[in-house]
Amino acid sequence: MTQTPGTAPEVAATLADASAAAAEPRSPRSWWRLIVLLFGALVFLFPFYYMIIGSLQKHADTSLSGALPQPGNISLHNYGQINAALSLGKALINSGIFTGGVLLATVVFGVLAGYALAQLRFRGRGLLFAVMLLLLTVPFQLLIIPLYVLIVRNYGLGDSYLGMIAPFAINSTAVFIFRQFFLQVPKELFDAARIDGAGELRVLTRIGLPLVRPALLTAMLLTFIGPWNEFLWPFLITKKQSLQPLAVALANYISTVAGVAANPYGAILAGAVVLAVPAVALFIVFQRHFVSANIGSAVKG
Amino acid sequence: MTGITSPRPKFSPPEEEPRPSPRQSRAQRIARTALGRHPIGIVFGAPYALFIAVLFAYPLGLAVWISFHSYFFAAPGVSVPRPFVGLANYEAVLADPAVRQAFVNVLIFLVINVPLTVMVSLLLATALNAAIPFRAFFRTSFYVPYVTASVAVVGVWLFMFGSGGIVNNVLGPLAPTPSWLINQNWAMPSIAIYVTWKQLGFFILLYLAALQNVPKELYEAAEVDGASWWRRFRAVTVPGVRPATTLVTLLAIITGAGLFTEPYLLTAGGGPNGKSASPVLLMYQTGIEQNRPDFASALGILLVIGVFLIFGIQRLLQRRQA
Amino acid sequence: MKPPVALAVAVTLALGLAACGGQGAVPARAAAKAHGPISIWYSNNPQEVAWGEQMVAAWNKLHPSEKVTGQQIPAAQSSEEVIGAAITAGSEPCLIYNTAPAAVPTFEQQGGLVPLNDFPGAVSYIQARTGPGASVYKSPDGKYYQMPWKSNPVMIFYNKKIFAKAGISPTNPPLSTYSQFLATAKKVVSSGAAKYAIYPAPTSEFYQSWYDFYPMYAAESGGKELIANGKATFDSAAGRAVIGFWQKLYAQNLAGKGSYTNDPFADGSTAMAIVGPWAVATYKGKVDWGIAPVPTTQGSHGDQVPTFSDAKNISMYVSCENRATAWDFLKFSTSIAEDGKLLSMTGQMPMRQGIQQLYAPYFKANPAYKEFAAEAAHVIEVPNVPNSIEAWQVFRNDWSKSVIFGQERPDSVLAAESAQINKIVAGNPNAQYGAP
Repeated sequence: MTQTPGTAPEVAATLADASAAAAEPRSPRSWWRLIVLLFGALVFLFPFYYMIIGSLQKHADTSLSGALPQPGNISLHNYGQINAALSLGKALINSGIFTGGVLLATVVFGVLAGYALAQLRFRGRGLLFAVMLLLLTVPFQLLIIPLYVLIVRNYGLGDSYLGMIAPFAINSTAVFIFRQFFLQVPKELFDAARIDGAGELRVLTRIGLPLVRPALLTAMLLTFIGPWNEFLWPFLITKKQSLQPLAVALANYISTVAGVAANPYGAILAGAVVLAVPAVALFIVFQRHFVSANIGSAVKG
Repeated sequence: MTGITSPRPKFSPPEEEPRPSPRQSRAQRIARTALGRHPIGIVFGAPYALFIAVLFAYPLGLAVWISFHSYFFAAPGVSVPRPFVGLANYEAVLADPAVRQAFVNVLIFLVINVPLTVMVSLLLATALNAAIPFRAFFRTSFYVPYVTASVAVVGVWLFMFGSGGIVNNVLGPLAPTPSWLINQNWAMPSIAIYVTWKQLGFFILLYLAALQNVPKELYEAAEVDGASWWRRFRAVTVPGVRPATTLVTLLAIITGAGLFTEPYLLTAGGGPNGKSASPVLLMYQTGIEQNRPDFASALGILLVIGVFLIFGIQRLLQRRQA
Repeated sequence: MKPPVALAVAVTLALGLAACGGQGAVPARAAAKAHGPISIWYSNNPQEVAWGEQMVAAWNKLHPSEKVTGQQIPAAQSSEEVIGAAITAGSEPCLIYNTAPAAVPTFEQQGGLVPLNDFPGAVSYIQARTGPGASVYKSPDGKYYQMPWKSNPVMIFYNKKIFAKAGISPTNPPLSTYSQFLATAKKVVSSGAAKYAIYPAPTSEFYQSWYDFYPMYAAESGGKELIANGKATFDSAAGRAVIGFWQKLYAQNLAGKGSYTNDPFADGSTAMAIVGPWAVATYKGKVDWGIAPVPTTQGSHGDQVPTFSDAKNISMYVSCENRATAWDFLKFSTSIAEDGKLLSMTGQMPMRQGIQQLYAPYFKANPAYKEFAAEAAHVIEVPNVPNSIEAWQVFRNDWSKSVIFGQERPDSVLAAESAQINKIVAGNPNAQYGAP
């Protein structure tokens, strides 16, 4: 089923590592290629390198030589400072709970919905799909104010994990990925099981789930980024410091308290490193598991 | 396939029967036509549908409602007058110079961000699309900014581009005064470049996938014809990935329209003279900080309409090209 | 098949009904007499946290059945948004020891504040403690929705070492008239003793004017508030003089134009700061400071110069269920003893009459604070008018363009803002854009 690109934002970024089979043959031009890529990689990675260096500096050193680690200026003091201000451990745990809750809800309900949208015929299917696409296009910030009233006042979920998780619970991009993926699976596989007399749930769990595993990993990795790095919504919902995820705690620190610290940038960068490392590490470890899942059909006309 | 030995099915007979057996009751047949062939799809989709209804459709409706009334947050149980005011909030939004400046800022952002994103990501994807050593390393390095929280990376950029930061130290006399993020002319472009850098990895991967679909034969034919690399790029690659380009453009526009974290953190309070305020930042300031959610909701709805307008224009241009 | 569908429908209905419901208000009359545990918020300034903790501990020892839980106010760009959001959610504590007078009209409008007049003897308590200056804190309906607590008279801090290096007397620097101030500032910068002469935050939050324009306007106008009788007062000779003064400072690069994270006075990049005694803790050990009143064109001397109070007050909020305890605790925390502890632990001036006599030992040990105490008798407050935050925001919006970057003339800016602000405080904040 073709997909008009105009209505498909946030499609899974997946890539076939296997089909790395060269589109163009090796040639002297490959040296140019390498140079361009090297330069690009440098530009992309330098801020992260600088982040780490800066977080280790005892006194903020913004000169060019400060970009190299100076033996006399290295200390873990900044990490101690940001930990004293923010309680890094608690903030990380909060981030974990927030992200974990979203991942759980997305996997459980998203797979169900994606499968239903792809392989089942039921009344309201088209409507559900259309609304899902609409949801992907409307910016979250428009809904923030009514959502705030709804969740905090009507449901009384202010300052709670549930309140944090609720608007993100089922990631629509993940649903989209699951749908696209299940579309690719031949109907015959499912039909055969149905003819054998299996109920739909069993069809899904016995046949669908094992097949969808690659898409599952992709969707989970993508779903992870959102809540882990989300700042605005948890910032609104949680005013108790003990509940704030790391992104929010760090942002508050940057805007308010940093001015009082001895080396404020050092402390900020230390917090930034702690926030960045898990996400980056996860991606580096799993990036080889990205597999092609209809990205081709999605970007075709 | 693993054999599914099923005990006698508990519910109705299998749905995929070629023709309805006479044993099927009338109720079941009605249910099938009314609810579709797989009514259980409704159950599967129900949690998601509920989620959308409660946490998306209802707030959206509420936002629209708020935008047509005079509304401010009150303590629970306190009843305050919330009269219907028609289009008054929309008029106020359109008349506010800060709002106009914010929309101009978004346009500046888009003008810098979208073409830059498209060009650089396509170029890098093309460069990456070959059997080169350390391919995985390069790909990962481009992706790293994307997966990192903006809050984290902003810290580094503030450190690098601050008045006494390393960038200004390197540039020396060439550094703009006042420095980048507090400079009226450079604040929004700085943010645009920052966001471009941050999002590039995602778009590179989109293009990489799209490039897989460009038939190798086209490249080989062009090479046989003696076309230079640039000519091959323009004649084969660019048209070949046009759908991806559309997608990339749309995603970039949506990101630009919803810009909040970067203006909030990089240039607190909207920057010098409001020159780096974004509409969403204004929504936050008016809706949450100043307790004027009626104004903020009207602004938000106008923003969404604006985004759809841009989509529409883009579609028109596309159709005319094709 | 049917049972799950039915279940889904039931769940939706239940959620929908729950959405229509929601919390109700705390019944006021019953709550006013109720005793029991309460919670409070105080500022996240370390000295105030220390004071708050010892105060709460002292109370809890005396009243184990009416326990008080204290917490720092959640961090955000401004305390007003945190408190406003909490009021909306119904999650704010009983007492907040960080209520800005400028925000009280907004909280009142939200229906979030408890009028202290509900408690017998409250008015006389407030007036006995603070004196005639307390009446400024009454709301338009004549009731007290806030208790005047502490003030931070804004004055000029100067770095004695930098002044000495620039050849200016560190004990009696010429800072009382505009021309003297400008000359001193020029001398500091041109001699290379510091990069800037003075460096108030140039950003556009609504409260920043309290630390550059407003203290000097108070001095220059002889103690006028920004808005009086519903009309803006600053479109006047005094207002124009103050704006002209700051324009000159920025035009000659004597004041920094970019935002900052580190405090520039603390790290020595600026010679002066315009701030109140709460900042002293930040400068301890880093700067050898002296203070002087803010300048005026004529240069009135000594502590007769009015300035901005930068007060923070205490309010009681409607989600409080045990208001009798809250009122007792309020009195406890503003007693002579606790005011004295506040003074010695934080250096901020309790809004109590006669502090110089009551706490003479402290002032003997810290003579520099005598000036603050004396100034505390001559402070003005932000006007208690509806939509005051929007008014201050409008005032600040043009500051960057006109004053810092000098792109507009003072008289036209003040005239335009004055007109806008008159509309705002008269009613609908959207009125500034021509809405009804």
